[in-house]
Amino acid sequence: MMAAMRALGAHLRAHLAVMMQYRGEVLLWSVWGIVNPAVLYAMWSAAAESSGSHEIASYDRAGLAAYFLVMMIVGHATGAWDVYQMGHFVRTGVLSPMLLHPVLPMWRSLAENIAYKVVTLMFVIPIWIGFAWLVGPAFKATAWEYLLGTIALFLGAALAYLLSYAISLIAFWAPKLDALGEIYFALCMFLGGRFVPIAALPDSIAGLARVMPFRWMYQFPTELLIGGRVGFRDTLIGLGLQIVWLTFSFVLFRTLWFAGLKRYTAVSG
Amino acid sequence: MTRALSLISVFVRVSVQNFAAYRFEFFVRMFVSVGHLLAELLAVQTIFKNTPEIRGWQKEHMLVLVGVFRMIAGGIRMVIVPNMRRVMEDIRNGTLDYVLLKPLDAQFHVSIREFVIWRVTDLVLGGSLAIYGSYLTLHTVPFDKFILFILMMVAAFTIVYAIWLALAAICFWLIRLENIEMLFWNVFEAGRFPVQIYPAWLQTGLTYIFPLAFIVTFPAASLLGISGKGITPTMPAIAFLVGLIAIILASMLFRIGLRRYAGASA
Amino acid sequence: MPQISVQNLAKTFRVPEREGGFIASVRSIFKRRHKEVRAVDGIHFTIDEGEIVGFLGPNGAGKTTTLKILSGLLHPTSGEARVMGHIPWKRESEYLRRISMLMGQRTQLHWDLPAIDSFLVHGSIYGLPKEQYRTTLDELVALLDIGDVLKKQVRSLSLGERMKCEICVSLLHRPSVLFLDEPTIGVDIAMQARIREFIRNYNRQHGATIILTSHYMADVTALCKRIIVIDKGHILFDGPLPELSRKLAPFKVIKIDLDRDLNGYDLAALGDVLVREERKVSLRVPKGEAASVTSKLLTDLAVLDLTIEDPPIEDVISRVFGGESTK
Repeated sequence: MMAAMRALGAHLRAHLAVMMQYRGEVLLWSVWGIVNPAVLYAMWSAAAESSGSHEIASYDRAGLAAYFLVMMIVGHATGAWDVYQMGHFVRTGVLSPMLLHPVLPMWRSLAENIAYKVVTLMFVIPIWIGFAWLVGPAFKATAWEYLLGTIALFLGAALAYLLSYAISLIAFWAPKLDALGEIYFALCMFLGGRFVPIAALPDSIAGLARVMPFRWMYQFPTELLIGGRVGFRDTLIGLGLQIVWLTFSFVLFRTLWFAGLKRYTAVSG
Repeated sequence: MTRALSLISVFVRVSVQNFAAYRFEFFVRMFVSVGHLLAELLAVQTIFKNTPEIRGWQKEHMLVLVGVFRMIAGGIRMVIVPNMRRVMEDIRNGTLDYVLLKPLDAQFHVSIREFVIWRVTDLVLGGSLAIYGSYLTLHTVPFDKFILFILMMVAAFTIVYAIWLALAAICFWLIRLENIEMLFWNVFEAGRFPVQIYPAWLQTGLTYIFPLAFIVTFPAASLLGISGKGITPTMPAIAFLVGLIAIILASMLFRIGLRRYAGASA
Repeated sequence: MPQISVQNLAKTFRVPEREGGFIASVRSIFKRRHKEVRAVDGIHFTIDEGEIVGFLGPNGAGKTTTLKILSGLLHPTSGEARVMGHIPWKRESEYLRRISMLMGQRTQLHWDLPAIDSFLVHGSIYGLPKEQYRTTLDELVALLDIGDVLKKQVRSLSLGERMKCEICVSLLHRPSVLFLDEPTIGVDIAMQARIREFIRNYNRQHGATIILTSHYMADVTALCKRIIVIDKGHILFDGPLPELSRKLAPFKVIKIDLDRDLNGYDLAALGDVLVREERKVSLRVPKGEAASVTSKLLTDLAVLDLTIEDPPIEDVISRVFGGESTK
């Protein structure tokens, strides 16, 4: 574990330097995380106008503004792209040299992930502020909710990273399945509440979303940080479920990793 | 002109031949295309569960828009993206030299080299959905609307092509900048919904500065044939004018870039 | 009237100077510093139809720049050039149809397609009639012996196979003038020899004019009767291969056979000792001193046989370019 942490630190420094070098491109990528929630805000606030109650799932216009603003931040924190890349790594053998390192390739990928998120903060924070100024969001969070919401945000980010990494390992068995990333993305979009708060989904889909892990990555931290939406008891249950899903993801990762590695070395050996 | 067409047909034939060898991938990709469409339909379903309409767009109208969006997105990825990615790579690697050695207009040549054939599924699926939505709205698909729609789509693809050509031309100056195409995708994302959902200043921007309205919203509206969605009788003429201006500017930029590449301007 | 004529040709590049460090790179966004690099600096030569001429010189000497100007890829900064009566950088389609350029380090074949498809596309870009395309292709495929690899994805070909396909595609339209930039780079020795053989035959059969650059001296010595040596944008030498050593080498090599052993005679005082066996010695001496050293050797030692030679061409070239070629 210590070795892993040291490796993480070294990779982190290296990737920070790389990100700084390619800041132009990094900027272009990070803007993507802004555009999608902003477009959804525009659409849902226009939809709210013509809905009878002027609300979507009990969010009025200012509430939607807050929802999608926080969703931008949560989206930034939870971003993970191994699920798009792993198939390519397995297919082309890029993974092989990574396996020669004494630490898991996941640490290297995690370092890259964190470096990206840290460096892009300097681009996205001004855009978040600009968006907030433009749309006038309504926040009701108390200090407690901010604190617990921040914890939920980090747990959600960890869960999003670990689960997507575990899912990406399906590539060991289906390296040509390039659609894996897109399928996973669609699940996050609808079942995580990134497209719209889950209550607004068609009933069958909403029911599915309630039992899946995705809401704990996106909607749960978002609603905590907006404030006045999640009761204290539900907050504790939510944090507990985040940890349960995190444990599940870890076990899933371990299982798939070792089984997949056996297969990979057997096939490509 | 016939020579141009025969050249295009050679490139297409080569792509088709080689594509036939990857039948398995074709089915995977069909599945992905259908998946995209289902996700977009789920989005429409969700929206109209919560509201009867958005700024004049009802559910059937939105089906047309989703269909058009899929057609444009598929068409871009079928022809425009692969060609423009390749020319950007050529600029970076110096292999553009081989294009310039050919007795053929460079811009034309770099625009027809690659075809991602299986993207045809997006055109077919999107087109079917658009026609279906139009039929639900009008209970028939009038011939004149259909012709108007085709014209608007031609203008839309011209504009998109011009935007991508300009992006590729920027690589002549900013050689190291990869992922410049994210500029396009970031804005294109806003085209999933009609431009009318945006505040007025943004609508203007998306109509005349980055003419997204001409790429998705107006072609969709033309198939519906209802006024009040930005469609006027003069709209096709304006669309062609916008397309013409865009293509002229982009070609100029590309030509200046080529001159720079050859060291003629230095 | 020569087929290629070049007069006073010059090309200057403006290259941005990049500095390391964050502050410097921010500053460079606003104010770029440039420096001028004279890649080609006033060169003259003419080449007749059917000649094979080798361009020699270290990296960055201006060989590729010259080829690129002649093939119409680059505009010169000043000077004139005519190839078959055309000004290359006007890039008239009539001109482009009659030339070909092959860059050994860059592929023109489509990586994901079989080579035959790239050939087909090439044929239609040049508007070759079906009949002519077929016969040329058949001939080239037979000569280059690439019948087996035509239908394989280019990605999966060996470097040598790929290079042969590259040569094939560049010749499909039967160019009269051929610019070959490092055509054998990276391929193994046997394949180099075969490619050379092919180029020689092609030149003989079709009378095509060929300009060739190569890192491999063997390419040049085997193919080119005439050599143009370029360094730092200037022409150092232009003439037949054997003369190159005579003109450029500042040294002579003196070889002697002796009757008796040397017995501690101080050869090193006279020049660089290349070989020193019991009764066989060879010495490298500066050109100007060759005569005096020879007479001293003849008086001091019991010489059976003595020859004065120019050093081998490889040595000459590597000495002329010295440290530069490693840059």
